[in-house]
Amino acid sequence: MKGWHRYAIAVVGGLAVGLCGAWALTDGGLGDGAIRNGPWTTSLGYGTKATDPLTRAMVARSGLLALPAKETVYWMAKTDASGARLDGDCRYSLSGAPLDARWWSITVYDDSGYLVDNPARLWSVNGANVALDTKNEWRVTISPNKPKGAAWLPVIKGRAFQLTLRMYNPGDAFRAAPEKATLPRLVKEAC
Amino acid sequence: MRNWFGPVLLGLIVAAATMWAAILYLPYGLMDIAMNRLGQGGINSMSHGNLATPERQPVVRPSPDLAYSSCPYDLSQGPLAIDVVPVPGRYSSLSLFDAATDVIFVRNDVEAAGKPYRIIVAREGQVVPAGAEIVRTDQDRGIALIRLLLREPAEIGALDAARRQSSCRTVINPK
Repeated sequence: MKGWHRYAIAVVGGLAVGLCGAWALTDGGLGDGAIRNGPWTTSLGYGTKATDPLTRAMVARSGLLALPAKETVYWMAKTDASGARLDGDCRYSLSGAPLDARWWSITVYDDSGYLVDNPARLWSVNGANVALDTKNEWRVTISPNKPKGAAWLPVIKGRAFQLTLRMYNPGDAFRAAPEKATLPRLVKEAC
Repeated sequence: MRNWFGPVLLGLIVAAATMWAAILYLPYGLMDIAMNRLGQGGINSMSHGNLATPERQPVVRPSPDLAYSSCPYDLSQGPLAIDVVPVPGRYSSLSLFDAATDVIFVRNDVEAAGKPYRIIVAREGQVVPAGAEIVRTDQDRGIALIRLLLREPAEIGALDAARRQSSCRTVINPK
């Protein structure tokens, strides 16, 4: 092998390793933020000018055009309360008290962060369309099949999924300690 | 094996430089794609998009609870005027993202006291209308995005006319 062949292989290999490395490094998504609260994770640094190039690239891939924390806090859940991966073959109970925000919503996405079609054409619940019980709590069933007598958020059999909880104009108490705030419970009931 | 010392060293340097360049470029590239997808009504013009569904997802993690109006802009021909008319009693916000994806301006309906307002987006040095509220930026291109929250998707029928009162356009004569 001639010397320049070795250099050519090294340059091509270096380009490939560099591009793959950049893709892998920016793949963390919003869910790998610094703040954890049960199965939910977030970072309050998104949507600001002060973030470093790596964070900016990660946000651009997973949450392009996201708002800063004062306006909206985005929480992501990829696991249930026990730490197990969210699975479209299982049934989950999602419940809680009204959240400390002007408005909130919870949306189901696939693993890449996109909406997936389902027969009910339903992808989210929000603070205005959940019913409160006598204990001032709401409850939603996340499952592939429609539950009887319960609010439903459909998922697709055989496919992993993620949840994004959006809190618009979160309250001062929440913003002072988001890791201690009471967030919705996400418990696996059956598979 | 000694013949490979130089090439491997070069390969490592190329890999590190490529990785860093790709991380720096990625936000600009993704913003370009978003501008093209959102800009079907043209640049410097407000498009009032249909609600997000699996068939229509111009950006990652779209919210099906939001009606998005977007104005992909380019300041190379002059500053941009954005007129926002909040919908009474609803969360709505205007946010501006520059070509690097950084947020350069946010205002919601409460901060606007529910009243219509105009802002001018301009590069440093561009002549702007006297007395106007100015947002200066160091990038020509970006996206202005208005979010309007819906309680149910069906509400869009009643709120569509209201959100269409918001607009954007290039300032032709800034005097």
